[in-house]
Amino acid sequence: MKNILEIKDLTVGFCENTGWHQVLNKISFDIGEGEIVGIVGESGSGKSMTALTIMHLLAENAVIKEGEILFDGQDLLKCGDDRMRCVQGNDISMIFQEPMTSLNPVQKIGTQIGEALRLHTNLNNDEIQKRVIESMENVGLPKPAELAGKYPYQLSGGMRQRVMIAMASICSPKLLIADEPTTALDVTVQMQILKLLRRFHDETGTSILFISHDLNVVRALCDRVIVMYRGDIVETGDAVEVLRHPKHDYTKTLVAAIPKNTNVPVEKNPVVSVKNLNVYYNEGRHLFSASKKKKHVIKNISFDIYDGEILGVVGESGCGKSTLGKTLTGLNRDYTGEITMACKRPQMVFQDPFGSLNPAKKLGWIMEEPLKLSGIRDKKSRIAMVDQMLCQIGLDESYKNRYAHELSGGQRQRVSIGLALLAGTKFIVADEPVSALDVTVQSQILDLILDIHQKQNVTMMFISHDLNVVRGICHRVIVMYLGEIVEVAEVHEIYEHPRHPYTQLLLKAILNGDGRVPAGTKNSGKTTEEVNNEGCAYYPRCPYHSDECLFHRPEMKNAGTDKNPHLVKCYHMLTVD
Amino acid sequence: MKYFIKKLITLIITLLFISMLTFAAFSVIPGDASLTKLGTDASPEQVEALREQMGLNDPMPVRYVRWLKDALRGDFGESYQYNGTAVSELLAQRLPVTVVLSVMALIIILALSIPLGIISAKHSGKWLDTFISQVTQITMAIPAFFLGILLTYIFGLVLQWFQPGKFVGLDESVSGCLKYLIYPAIAIALPKIAMVVKFLRNSVLSEVKKDYVRTAYSKGNTKNGVLYKHVLKNALIPVITFVALIIAEILAGSIIVEQVFSVPGMGRLLISSISNRDYPVVQAIVTYITAIVVIINFIVDILYQLVDPRVNAQ
Repeated sequence: MKNILEIKDLTVGFCENTGWHQVLNKISFDIGEGEIVGIVGESGSGKSMTALTIMHLLAENAVIKEGEILFDGQDLLKCGDDRMRCVQGNDISMIFQEPMTSLNPVQKIGTQIGEALRLHTNLNNDEIQKRVIESMENVGLPKPAELAGKYPYQLSGGMRQRVMIAMASICSPKLLIADEPTTALDVTVQMQILKLLRRFHDETGTSILFISHDLNVVRALCDRVIVMYRGDIVETGDAVEVLRHPKHDYTKTLVAAIPKNTNVPVEKNPVVSVKNLNVYYNEGRHLFSASKKKKHVIKNISFDIYDGEILGVVGESGCGKSTLGKTLTGLNRDYTGEITMACKRPQMVFQDPFGSLNPAKKLGWIMEEPLKLSGIRDKKSRIAMVDQMLCQIGLDESYKNRYAHELSGGQRQRVSIGLALLAGTKFIVADEPVSALDVTVQSQILDLILDIHQKQNVTMMFISHDLNVVRGICHRVIVMYLGEIVEVAEVHEIYEHPRHPYTQLLLKAILNGDGRVPAGTKNSGKTTEEVNNEGCAYYPRCPYHSDECLFHRPEMKNAGTDKNPHLVKCYHMLTVD
Repeated sequence: MKYFIKKLITLIITLLFISMLTFAAFSVIPGDASLTKLGTDASPEQVEALREQMGLNDPMPVRYVRWLKDALRGDFGESYQYNGTAVSELLAQRLPVTVVLSVMALIIILALSIPLGIISAKHSGKWLDTFISQVTQITMAIPAFFLGILLTYIFGLVLQWFQPGKFVGLDESVSGCLKYLIYPAIAIALPKIAMVVKFLRNSVLSEVKKDYVRTAYSKGNTKNGVLYKHVLKNALIPVITFVALIIAEILAGSIIVEQVFSVPGMGRLLISSISNRDYPVVQAIVTYITAIVVIINFIVDILYQLVDPRVNAQ
């Protein structure tokens, strides 16, 4: 196999006020023609930096100290800007992580996709237009002619990532660099995008450099994997082999499984009981609009949370799982229905540990606040409690005098959990508490959550899109779809015998180490339009749908035993298997 | 279209609200129109009769509706100081001058600050950026009236490019009028340029950090290609709002600068009317100026939608 890209002794760093800060230490690897190579590693490992160096997209203060990047025999590092611009977007193109922000918000999609052609070819406008439509069809975008005239904000995240792929592939590059292209997407959409990349690769034979922190994704797509740690390549080899039998210590911790929850709550004693909950969002409340528009976000749901359990809530973005969490913690007052709680007001742990701590206050002050609010007047006992809590969440007393920006993401998330506990509640709602964290940090935080859960008998609602994590730590799982609960059951029951077609789809999209991503079919990008009818919300996407589903909304039925109920909202739950 | 209609309705209601406020304000100000008309020697009976005749004894809402009806037809009553000349006639003479002056000032601001802002951003942190920011800051520190005096001295008295005080009316010679107005327009514009330059510069610099810019580079765009094809339109969105604020300041600035250059515009009329307690004129001018500011904001909202497609969706 001929190599399309060879990197030799690449050393890159930043010249900062504090001195030389090296981010890539003499790394060397190559990519073969038609090969998919994955780079894994945590944030700061230098994996994105490698990609940006290849693309000549480094920040201005970054310095390439030594090394060469041979592409098709020529050293890209010795190329002038003009020569490099002929390579960028033409021979090598790139897909970025955030489809939401990586497209120009005020330019039409068709224009953005066609831009590379305008830069690199002499095609006239009609030909460009034709190629744009073709390219959009290839990535499974529906009604391409119409879509080309739209703006990015009118598209969903998955569709935007398809637009990015269409944009990157339009000049038929020899190498495609994909930097975490599925990280910001839902599991089901992630699967579609991976299938699309696989098909693109199979059809065109383009080499792909695929960067991800998600080992399962890399294993499912890549031929070969490179493991990076703090600017070094620590291990490389066949993707499946390396991730199954890691040799380097760091790879071993990366591969280490999600902690398992072994604690089983004995009694089914509801601490929180939700009956017929409906939640609304006010939409565009204008002075002169005829009626107040309300968006119905959560539709008539009822469930219990039992004492001492961890209840998982899963579903795609927009299904109302975060809204549910906010409503339970009292952050959202516009609801009807009944919420009864046999405990103090619950506390919330948010996804973004960066935005949810006041940047202007020291941690000591932040952590004392809930104590002040609960009426503890004595400063000394407050400080004592804060010190104790800091130790409990795996930090120490010295953190009192630090500011939030001095902490890492994992440390901040520890503080968030500590804050929730200091408020004296026995019920915590955790909204994607680990999704913003690196894999290794993720398992540490999950360990902390399980530790606190066990020692203090804290009940928890764990909202997550990561089905592997939910499987590891939750006792029961609620599956939500468009504001409704479609399935509730014990965790092993739901993962082993999913009854609802939506749950089955979600579980099929999990990458848990077995099997490779198959190439998608050309029209796999079917988007669903929400049918606002009397029938089942899942009707448009359901493979089993019948007329009954279209006109009548199914009721929740028990498919399990009285002792271990398995509630499903589907007419076909018994035929589905 | 829906957006347009919505904004239009908001505009009309705002205008009504403003007219109500100004009317109420002028009803509260001491001073009686009948007394002004008859002079201080009039007997109470005479005053009472005239008040009745002028409808001044009616309750305020009734008077407001009557005033609004007249105002909508362009009738703002009669001026006291110009012996009963219709206010609308006075305004018809003065308004075009002020509008031309303001538009010229605005053109100067935009023509200088947009290129300067872009240059500053392109050379951020380098000497050219510092130089532009220093110079514009000096011009910002000079008050418009003082700049007016300075310009009059340099261009009027020393260089004799124009004759201070010898204003050429629009009806006499359009080019002559424009040539005269360029100096007061500069006096109004210069202090405002610094702000727009700084605003645009920072807006460009914050856009440059965004992800879509990296995407644009990854396609093989040149630095200028990225700047003009991608960044500029995004960076101008917040500037549009800022310019709307500047327009209100231009109008306010013209009142003083017209005085300095003896330009017979609305500003001068306003000042002389205030000192002569010519309330109908003052009231009309205040209504006009506020209406202009509100209408410009309306136009900016519409422009906004043209530049930023997302506005339509919200």
